[in-house]
Amino acid sequence: MSIPVLLLVLFALFLVGLLAWALRPPTRPSKPVLDVFEALAQSRHCSRMSHILNVLHPEDTEYLRETGQLALMQNLRRQRRRIALGYLDQLQQEFEELLEISRVLAVMSPEVIGMEESERWKLSIIFAANCAFLRWKLRWGLQPFSGFTLLSSMAVSIARQLDTATTRIAQATVHASESSPPDDSAIVGH
Amino acid sequence: MVEPLQLQTAAWALTTTLELALLVQLIRRKLGRLYPLFLTYLLTAIFQSAAIAVLYRYPDLDKVTIWKIAWGTQALVVAMRSLALLELNRKVLAQYVGIWALARRLFLCVAAAIIAYDLMLSTGKWQWLILNGIRALELAMAAVIVTMLLFARYYRVPVNNFQRALAVGFCLYSSFYVINYSLLEKVLKEYAVLWNFLGMFAFIASLLVWTNAATRYVAAEEVPASPAIPAELYGKLSSELNMRLFLLNKQLIQLLHREDKRQ
Repeated sequence: MSIPVLLLVLFALFLVGLLAWALRPPTRPSKPVLDVFEALAQSRHCSRMSHILNVLHPEDTEYLRETGQLALMQNLRRQRRRIALGYLDQLQQEFEELLEISRVLAVMSPEVIGMEESERWKLSIIFAANCAFLRWKLRWGLQPFSGFTLLSSMAVSIARQLDTATTRIAQATVHASESSPPDDSAIVGH
Repeated sequence: MVEPLQLQTAAWALTTTLELALLVQLIRRKLGRLYPLFLTYLLTAIFQSAAIAVLYRYPDLDKVTIWKIAWGTQALVVAMRSLALLELNRKVLAQYVGIWALARRLFLCVAAAIIAYDLMLSTGKWQWLILNGIRALELAMAAVIVTMLLFARYYRVPVNNFQRALAVGFCLYSSFYVINYSLLEKVLKEYAVLWNFLGMFAFIASLLVWTNAATRYVAAEEVPASPAIPAELYGKLSSELNMRLFLLNKQLIQLLHREDKRQ
């Protein structure tokens, strides 16, 4: 059998595997639309990024080494790393929530832009990879500044995209209400 | 030991029986009205079984005529299956206008790429071109079904049990057809009868999945078409817009006060 035909057979088998994967029940139940929009209004963890970056700076605890309190310094740095890991969990949760909101917006929106959707898919893959890398770096006690900054900018970019989409939906709503014929019941009243 | 030809005849009889059973279930559950193209596809498949049964009654017919009739009806069945698949995709996604527009473009790209790749492989006689064309169409259908299900999963679009069963049946049959045909074409010509039987077995499995889903179908499964933006959401969005306008106004007032102070 030639390689191109073999590729066709393998692709057909791959499709069967994907079918089984696509039919699995979702890991998280989908949120009602209103819950999702409430989540949109909540404050963002990325706004607290600067505090976390400060506590991870080695200079912040370096004075303890100079005063001879090496054990205390190490303990403090370990605790701060744990806090940073907790923060990272929250950031990831927030990112997933933003993705969920963007899905709901896409489903409701009368117009979905393919480029924006594919950009979001790409962002979510890069975010997941960065999160895993950063977690690994923090566990091994390495300095994760560049990674954190990257994640922060990603979260901000997603929030901006969502903002644009919300405005577009609001505009569509306004257009729809303007073009619909006047409702007699509203004039007659009770 | 049972001869492969006898097995094939038995499978053929079983297929026709299951097709009729599915037809009865579709009519009883009023699914024919909801999925008219799927109903037409089923009727075409029954017609094909009948046509081939008639052909077997005339053994004196020349082979080219039989070949033309057999593959002509097969082309009709494949065309109807493609239309039934489009109907399924439309049923699942069409009420979400934006998603549906994006999905249609994606389906078209996936299908075109697969068909082009498969047709590139077919060289030589025109008969092989037709057979490879059918294989390409089957693989494209399987890919489109999987893409639709992945799309629905990503965007949390509800897919009811009957629609899932239709997707599973179509995809399994098409994938098996591609594997079966590719192996038969290149490696296992001597086992043609057995492989034909296995092809029918895949269709029987699909028929069983569909009949089971049609039997268990309840009308409540149909998700009613939801408006693009519900009234509550409109209220929420408009209040959010008002809040933004309020904040902009407040900023303007602050700027004015600052200018006042400077003066």
